[in-house]
Amino acid sequence: MEESKEQILVTHLLKKEEAAWKELFGAYSRNLSYVCSRYLSEKEDVHDVLQNSFIKMFRSIESFEYRGSGSLKAWMTRITVNESLKHIKQKGDFTSAVEVDDLPDIPNEEEPDFEEIPRDDIMMMIRALPDGYRTVFNLYVFEKKSHKEIAVLLGIAENSSASQFHRAKGLLAQKIKEFKMSKKSTI
Amino acid sequence: MNNEWLNNLRSRMDDHEEDVPEGLWDDIKDELFSGEENSIIPGFIPEVQDGEAKKDIGRKILFYRVGGIAAAIAILFLLTKIWPQNDPERRMSQKSEGVRNEEKKNSLKPIEAEHDSNNEVKTETEAFLADNILNTGSPEKITAQRYAERRVENQVDNNQKIKDIFKLPSASESFQQESRVAYNVPSIDDTVKETTKEQTSDEVLFKEEKPKEIYADNTKRNTSKSRNKKSWMLSMLTGNIASNSAEQQFPGYASITGKAMNVEQVFIASDYHDDPLMAILLANQSQPVEARIRHKVPVTFGLSLYYNLGKRWGLGTGLNYTKLASELHSGSDNNYIKGDQTVHYIGIPVQVNYNVIQKGRFTGYITGGALVEKPISGSVTTTYVVNDEMKESSKERLDHKPFQFSVNAAAGLQLKIVDKIGVYAEPGIGYHFKEETAPNTVYKEKPLHFNMKFGIRVLLD
Repeated sequence: MEESKEQILVTHLLKKEEAAWKELFGAYSRNLSYVCSRYLSEKEDVHDVLQNSFIKMFRSIESFEYRGSGSLKAWMTRITVNESLKHIKQKGDFTSAVEVDDLPDIPNEEEPDFEEIPRDDIMMMIRALPDGYRTVFNLYVFEKKSHKEIAVLLGIAENSSASQFHRAKGLLAQKIKEFKMSKKSTI
Repeated sequence: MNNEWLNNLRSRMDDHEEDVPEGLWDDIKDELFSGEENSIIPGFIPEVQDGEAKKDIGRKILFYRVGGIAAAIAILFLLTKIWPQNDPERRMSQKSEGVRNEEKKNSLKPIEAEHDSNNEVKTETEAFLADNILNTGSPEKITAQRYAERRVENQVDNNQKIKDIFKLPSASESFQQESRVAYNVPSIDDTVKETTKEQTSDEVLFKEEKPKEIYADNTKRNTSKSRNKKSWMLSMLTGNIASNSAEQQFPGYASITGKAMNVEQVFIASDYHDDPLMAILLANQSQPVEARIRHKVPVTFGLSLYYNLGKRWGLGTGLNYTKLASELHSGSDNNYIKGDQTVHYIGIPVQVNYNVIQKGRFTGYITGGALVEKPISGSVTTTYVVNDEMKESSKERLDHKPFQFSVNAAAGLQLKIVDKIGVYAEPGIGYHFKEETAPNTVYKEKPLHFNMKFGIRVLLD
């Protein structure tokens, strides 16, 4: 079987060649910046976490196992998410946000339609979620973690994860709705 | 509200990109490749960090190495405990022969007196026996000493090598002296003596000369040779007594079940000389005989399923395979019946694990639990050896196989191979509830014993 581009890159990464690492950075840093920004609202935090993530990748590239196309990206994303969570925990943002429990329940509504909303705006909405909600939401929706896994990752109770997710979801739906309303009104 | 829109959201955002923070690559480059860079200002600090990173990696490698070496030592240690069993045992039995010879001689003294032209030896014997009364210590200690001494005498060559490594000269002097005295203590209790006497009384008339020779020989060697020997075997032996494979000893002949064989019956029943058992009995007619059954340390291979209960606790079950091997040696050194019993067990354990330490791919844990085992097959191979020649060999299957229950505790080391799958090694201690009808195995002979488990563990989520 012919080696894919990804595999060739990995062999060079393993040799710790600077050019290979630069290529890796060039190819994935924008996507990882997005991943990281989903979790962290501060630009400086994103910078720090991404830097740490790449250093971690550099040191643990030996443990990477190629499992088909896209596995390198998945591996890098995992590391970045882990580093982000680490950062959130260290800063204590998360625990403080967990206690923001007094938001009213958002009533269930019809599915929000976000097809016409630019991705940058969606991104803005996600980032505007309270830290705790956002973390759980990100893990559940984008990292496809179960509430049980999230509970372990964040050191919270399983039902706490579920309820935070539920509220985050509601908040986001509301934001999307609001966004569309405001758009309509401007037109 | 349906979650479908969230899936859409994910796929929509999948390839989304954000602007990379400014100067990120430069910072990373400085951190990772600073050694090759000429950039002066940021180059200085990152270099230190790089060094730290390397140290970190080095430490990691060191840890793996140390872990590997520790595991290897643990396994070696256990193996050495299993291995040297054979040799010391032979020695021990010879010793008992010697002891028995003495006993014979003593018990037969009145008869001997009439024939005996060798009074000197006899008085010497008496003197030693007197000594012995004074020196009767704990039987275990004596056995140990005799054992060690015998080994020293007979295995000079073998020992030499190991001695170079395990030199313990400081303790050896006192020990040797002690053991010289202890050597002659008949440690077998009165009932055993009785049987021995009975057994040998028929042969007494032919044997007068022989025991004396042996005895004289032994004492001479004791006083001269053994004094120089080192006592490293003592520790080995106490280790064996305390922990390792169980051992049963009987005077006379015995079968692997531990039951004594009735020699008289065989003598009467078989009048043709082709029978190998008969041949052995005849060949040993003028020699002391004894039966030894040795049970080897059980080694278990397991396939475990492990279920995490939080960070440190876990629940495990799975399938275990255990092989129990026992050896029988019945007769004298050249003419004997040799039996090898092997029983294979399949068991289902239920374990609770507590992870004590977790470093990289290694997990150190303690575990406790219960195990139910069923022997799936077992066989006994009996070999008759006459004059060091194998005369006949037969194999029979064990058919009574009751369930065996046990509880156990162990400390283990696990190495993760891939995500969710690891190999482990667990030295531990187990207690088996006695089952009277079970085959004569280490479980029965020594309910509380050490064992060694190896296996593969699959993590369930």
